[in-house]
Amino acid sequence: MKALHITTVALYAIVTVYGASAAEPTPARTIDFNREIRPILSNACFTCHGPDRGARKGLAVPLRLDTEEGARADLGDHAAIVPGKPDESEALRRISSEDLSERMPPPKSGKKLSAHEVELLKTWVEQGAPYAKHWAYVKAIRPELPKLQNTDRARNPLDHFVLARLEAEGLKPAPEAEKAALIRRVTLDLTGLPPTLEEVDSFLSDQAPNAYEQLVDRLLSKPAYGEYQAQLWLDQARYADSAGYADDPARTIWGYRDYVIRSFNANKHFDQFTIEQMAGDLLPNPTDEQLIATAFHRNTLTNNEGGTNDEEFRNVAVVDRVNTTMSVWMGTTIACSQCHDHKYDPLKQSEYFGLFAIFNNTEDADRTDERPILSIYTQAQSKRRIELLNEIGKLAADLKDAPREITPDTSRDQFAKITKELADLKPSTTVPIFREQPTTARRKTQIQRRGNFMDLGDEVAEGVPAIFPPLSADAPRDRLALARWLVSADNPLTARVLANRTWEQLFGIGIVATSDDFGIQGDLPSHPELLDWLATELISDEWNLKRFLRTLVTSATYRQNSKVTPESYKHDPDNRLLARGPRFRMSAETIRDQALAVSGLLSPTLFGPPVKPPQPAMGLSAAFGSGTDWETSPGTDKFRRGLYTTWRRSNPYPSMATFDAPSREVCTIRRTRTNTPLQALVTLNDPVYLEAAQALARKIDGGAANSLERVRLGFRLVLARQPNEEEASRLVQLYESTRTALASDIVKAKSLATVPIGEAPANRDIVDLAAWTVVANVLLNLDETLMKR
Amino acid sequence: MNPHDEHVQQMTRRHFFKESQAGIGAMALASLLSGESKADVDPLTPKKPAGIAKAKNVIYLHLTGSPPHLDLYDYKPELVKRNGQDCPDAFLKGKRFAFTTGVPKLLGTPRKFAQHGQGGVWLSDALPNLSTVADDLCVIKSMHTDQFNHAPAELLLYTGSPRAGRPSMGSWITYGLGTENENLPGFVVLISSGVQPNGGKSSFGSGFLPSVYQGVQCRSKGDPVLYASDPAGMDRSTRRMSLDALRDLNEIQGRELGHPETTTRIAQYELAFRMQTAVPEVMDITREPKFLLDEYGAQPGASSFANNCLLARRLVENGVRYVQLFDWGWDFHGTNPNEGLTDGLTKKAATMDKPIAALIKDLKSRGLLDETLIICGGEFGRTPFREGRTAASATLGRDHFPDCYSMFLAGAGIKGGFTHGESDELGFSVARDPVHVHDLQATILHLLGIDHKQLTFRSQGRDFRLTDVFGTIVKPILS
Repeated sequence: MKALHITTVALYAIVTVYGASAAEPTPARTIDFNREIRPILSNACFTCHGPDRGARKGLAVPLRLDTEEGARADLGDHAAIVPGKPDESEALRRISSEDLSERMPPPKSGKKLSAHEVELLKTWVEQGAPYAKHWAYVKAIRPELPKLQNTDRARNPLDHFVLARLEAEGLKPAPEAEKAALIRRVTLDLTGLPPTLEEVDSFLSDQAPNAYEQLVDRLLSKPAYGEYQAQLWLDQARYADSAGYADDPARTIWGYRDYVIRSFNANKHFDQFTIEQMAGDLLPNPTDEQLIATAFHRNTLTNNEGGTNDEEFRNVAVVDRVNTTMSVWMGTTIACSQCHDHKYDPLKQSEYFGLFAIFNNTEDADRTDERPILSIYTQAQSKRRIELLNEIGKLAADLKDAPREITPDTSRDQFAKITKELADLKPSTTVPIFREQPTTARRKTQIQRRGNFMDLGDEVAEGVPAIFPPLSADAPRDRLALARWLVSADNPLTARVLANRTWEQLFGIGIVATSDDFGIQGDLPSHPELLDWLATELISDEWNLKRFLRTLVTSATYRQNSKVTPESYKHDPDNRLLARGPRFRMSAETIRDQALAVSGLLSPTLFGPPVKPPQPAMGLSAAFGSGTDWETSPGTDKFRRGLYTTWRRSNPYPSMATFDAPSREVCTIRRTRTNTPLQALVTLNDPVYLEAAQALARKIDGGAANSLERVRLGFRLVLARQPNEEEASRLVQLYESTRTALASDIVKAKSLATVPIGEAPANRDIVDLAAWTVVANVLLNLDETLMKR
Repeated sequence: MNPHDEHVQQMTRRHFFKESQAGIGAMALASLLSGESKADVDPLTPKKPAGIAKAKNVIYLHLTGSPPHLDLYDYKPELVKRNGQDCPDAFLKGKRFAFTTGVPKLLGTPRKFAQHGQGGVWLSDALPNLSTVADDLCVIKSMHTDQFNHAPAELLLYTGSPRAGRPSMGSWITYGLGTENENLPGFVVLISSGVQPNGGKSSFGSGFLPSVYQGVQCRSKGDPVLYASDPAGMDRSTRRMSLDALRDLNEIQGRELGHPETTTRIAQYELAFRMQTAVPEVMDITREPKFLLDEYGAQPGASSFANNCLLARRLVENGVRYVQLFDWGWDFHGTNPNEGLTDGLTKKAATMDKPIAALIKDLKSRGLLDETLIICGGEFGRTPFREGRTAASATLGRDHFPDCYSMFLAGAGIKGGFTHGESDELGFSVARDPVHVHDLQATILHLLGIDHKQLTFRSQGRDFRLTDVFGTIVKPILS
């Protein structure tokens, strides 16, 4: 049993619980190769009898079981699989052999087939042992909407697929969530921030039938939308503000982060977004914006350690670009094929280097100065630069034409003056970019044996793996062609992968649970037709991301409440059947942003250089590098959203790392979500969260007439909903008991109310503020606060 | 943790135990899905390994930068004899070095060597205290690795891959075995000499394993664990009052929505509350008698390797599974006197020689050496020739060297007074019994009762393990 297999097993269990004996092999039922047979073969057999030629084993002839031809090949006097004849199929004999020396898989491999799996394989052979192309490599076709017995709950087409499955399982969807829960959920999901009290009130009182849809449209047009979507994308882009490895020096590349925010806010369609990032420099007359986009792949590490070979680490960066591209766009884990043919998926090592060749001719070369870089000027600066350049040109021409003795001194002075002004005009920032090697200095690509850049084999031309559709024949085989290929309507994976990741972002788990692997070892989709409907929807809607998100969040499926009974939870703990709404822990950045937002501290500033919120001093340096401690950013910059926090790879911001924020040394498709005591210590004690509690306390204390009303106010600020009576009275009780305790120790009360936020307003009771700080600290630590509901 | 991830973890851990050789803990699918037993809730619950565990805990002492093994452990008289001669061509052909080009000069050690103890283990005069516990040491003289730059070599040693992104050894081990004391982190990292490891936090990170398995860095000043102190003005009774209210409110939420994760969260807050007391207690070395502080050379308030050795003992004594020390300053290029093989090495070696010897004796006197595995070394070795840049200076130094080097182990399951493997007469290559860093990893896991081929986690379609696709247990060093 392996990690990825689990959800399949869990699903299988669900099917057997709800769906009677659908999965039992009976002669009457046709075995589905993709769903039932390949996972068995892949797990148990492909390591030695799969696509990797180098590792393939066999008695006389190496046997491969990943293809129909291989399985049926004449092996002398026998064949591994003889269609229709289980008794003559050597593979079946070997998997059931009592003789351990010939039993397959060999006992020492640690792999073992269950009786049920053996039975399935036998039935499959009886039925003719048909093979099928892996589902994800077959282009999605738009499925018909399934017929429903009851269409009352469907709000849009995607609901039909979910409801059809629920009907088949004999389950009912959960009722729609309460409005307060819904506005909090959708606001967090689209903007990464909680709704304000005003937004909650206005939504609660909005009786229009499309009040919710209007809310969604308002959210999609907020600048915070782009910030939040960017935050999610930056994990894929492995964006960070440092170069990596031992000394891990600062890297200026935030212009790329801002490009991503602007792109999402402008609703740049995903095909354009892809082309710009992959190959903006190869577009005709690229704009600065399109050049900045290419920093996507300049987020690879640069090794500045003394005594390193730049060519070695340039190769490492190219490898990372191939792996990241295939992971992010195609959910394909190609990394294995760098050193040998893939063990499970039909990807050859030579094909790996075909992709490598496409990325192998950019100018960057693991340089400390990160060349090539683009200087970015503000609008005013750009205007002035053009003026200066024009004037220099004019003056230069004058000076050249006129004999020196008659040139007025003033012209020469003027020339010197504007040349200096031009030189002094420093760019507002710089961004490392892609630039193609000149034709005179093309690097040729050779297979690197065992992935070693110095052990070279045959030369390889640019290309894509044969299992996928070919690159366009009418264009050079370069990054631009690759980018267009990624988002072409014929590519079977990109739209599915994007649809699935967007689904995962909202529901906590993808339709394909292994959102990072759509290959043969990946999980099968829980709702294959739904996934294909979503994928074709994306393509026919020209990769319009805002519209796609709108479709998802306005569905009835998304709008369900998230209550569970012990029984329903036990049957479907991961909510794969979608009989309830999503509920899972929010990301590190969102937890931080929410605390700052509800307490009124959050800075609304967008864009710009990364900031340094408070972090504990460690008194250490990076190896061969600068100190890991930092001076907190002045003013309100310490209250910027989490995505602006300086991301030093060797030292991720500790409170966010504790909540599973990755180091971004490599691309992260899917963060894990853990629940640990160290997280409790962050939200209880980190000065950032304490300051938020103190600010929230001041809002609560000054915002209502009595303690019950104050509790209600605080609760609604944090959670959007009203507390019930039990909750409110428990919080009032906490306020009163801490107030009593603190009243006897003014020094303590003063610390609690003012460190680190600062002096209390003149007319406030310090003990009250301290007691409300304790209450606010509890509010910010509620399970419900940390979770989407 | 979200139900899916939690599931993934349970299933993979169970896979490991179920399918491993001893076949412990085969569980029915029904119980896999129930998520009710304690082991299902807390991923750090101690687990019995499938194999026979000779070691319960690990203390890994990393000398960051890589000490000059030819001046500490591997005595090469022939190299001394040929000191100053041109390095033979055969040793340079096809090789790359970090800071040396052309033909460097052979460098015999300036240190005095002698054999110690019953086992006759060779040690140099830079290690007078370790010489007194030589019969507890097992020196491997045939180590080799694939990387000769610090960061990639350190990542290879600790994560099995020279590139960032994989879980570190301590993470794999706590993932496999959990930890004995739930009030303390299972995997603790202590750093001395002011600089973090070459691989940054990735050298003790959890990679694609859940972050609950990442190394927790403890500080010697301020909160030993980040954010462990209550805010100024909040005493323990106020904290208790607030956590009582938090628990009551979370229970209301749990009743209403019915999600088991709420129950887990309540438990984690209670654990955090206990950790707030337990961690400062275990990190407080003023509780140790003065003679013992002196034995280690530890001083309360300092952030020295000596303090960290003493803390390592306190931590394993209190049930921490894996303690990782990193000490900066072992990159002996000879570019300054502190990195020289004479006085520089005498001074630096003293900072580790005394405390490690004290640690071995201390563990032994408490009966803990039998269950604690100690490992000490760098990320690679150093060249048998003088480093190119410093060839003309008065300070002797050596370049990075991956092909053959030494390190030592001691404690649980290890033969004491034993030397394993041999380098050739000039120290350029392994002459006998090579041990790759993947073999070292396999051996460490074996000593803990874990089959390195069975401890896997699936990420991106592949079952990863600490030893990648390599690793052979080094049986001759096992007691």
